[in-house]
Amino acid sequence: MFLTLQHDDKRPIYQQITDGIKTLIARGDLREGMTLPSVRQVAGDLGVNLNTVAVAYRQLQDEGFVTVRHGAGAVISSRSPHPVNQAELYKPLRTALTQLVLSGLTGREIVEAVREQLAQLQQKGGTRLVHQA
Amino acid sequence: MLTYALVKHIWNAPLQNGTGYFFGIEVPAGFYEGAGRRWMTGYHATVASLYTVWAVALGAIVVTRRWQMTPLWAGGFALLFVPAMFAFQAWTRHRLGVNPPVRPVALALETRRLSDYISWPMEALAVALVALSWWLLLRHAGAHFDWLTPAILSWAALGMIPGKMAMVRLSFPLPAERTEEHYRFQDAARRYWIRLSGIMFEWFMVVVLFGGALMHALSPMRPAPVWRWVVLACSFAVWGYGIIVMFRGMREMKAMSVDLRPAGSWRTPFRRATLMMSSSRPYLIWFAIWFGGILAFILYPLCKARF
Repeated sequence: MFLTLQHDDKRPIYQQITDGIKTLIARGDLREGMTLPSVRQVAGDLGVNLNTVAVAYRQLQDEGFVTVRHGAGAVISSRSPHPVNQAELYKPLRTALTQLVLSGLTGREIVEAVREQLAQLQQKGGTRLVHQA
Repeated sequence: MLTYALVKHIWNAPLQNGTGYFFGIEVPAGFYEGAGRRWMTGYHATVASLYTVWAVALGAIVVTRRWQMTPLWAGGFALLFVPAMFAFQAWTRHRLGVNPPVRPVALALETRRLSDYISWPMEALAVALVALSWWLLLRHAGAHFDWLTPAILSWAALGMIPGKMAMVRLSFPLPAERTEEHYRFQDAARRYWIRLSGIMFEWFMVVVLFGGALMHALSPMRPAPVWRWVVLACSFAVWGYGIIVMFRGMREMKAMSVDLRPAGSWRTPFRRATLMMSSSRPYLIWFAIWFGGILAFILYPLCKARF
């Protein structure tokens, strides 16, 4: 299972890792009980600072996606994170929709794009995930 | 056969990734018809001069029958050859690969456990055999026994255990295209190096050490010739097996890496272009200590005798 980090992505590295793992959980590629590689391994493989990966894992832990057990590493805990306020949940959606409207897409095109993205997300068995910038 | 294979491998090392690369650095089409020829000539001249020094020094030892100089010759050559090759590669990268392209990097979410690569019962056996060898030697070796040889063998053999652990941690960036193939190649390469090092530098040394200790224990005053042959045969069996593993591995690695992007030909958004071995600090630290220790063991008695 691979997670691809784009060089032109403006998000911080830890955010790219967090988002990538969350998407894999959402798609069902990462299931409950599966272990993530250690912080040291991820940092070594990517060539980034240990703290960067630790921050990503801590964020996933704070949001309830992983449980960090001493000696066992980070284990995927659940697909359903801690309960979040609906307004909070829709905030990023509203931001994304605003961007799409401002870019000149029609309502129909936006709905089509959302449907397409959702279908991709729900497509199981895929082993690769690419973050678009 | 081993020497021939190694010399051939070293001679063609810049072309190991095909004619699109020089020492893993991407070169433009037609490079080998132009500037590449000069680079290859320079590289071949460097290798040839190193081997000339090696051959002349060996010839001098044979002619003068100063066999005691053999360790100095071997150690000295290693001291000359390894830095010279590294220096050439560093120079190449400095001149040809100043600005390799930045590409997306993939991250494998598979956990690499030490036990997936290292057999702990076998490591425990190796440690037990080394300990038993020392116990036998301490009990049976005579007053004029040369303790340096078992010390070097033990250092080399036991030093491979942390070395293997460092090799498990070795990795180089995975490109975003053909990631699965790159991942499989990296994993196979990691397993190959761990296995080969284990045979050649750990088990070979353990067999020689244990065989020697057993020989002293069975006939402390004057080892029977038959025991010498048995130890020699066992050592060569391990070495021969290592050679087979090496040739098969080299063939397999070559087949797997066809058309794959070499590690040093691109850089990730977070890491500069490096070769696989130089991409891991723990590995480099381990190698410096292990190799430096062996050299110190070899050179110390010579320096002591001289001054």
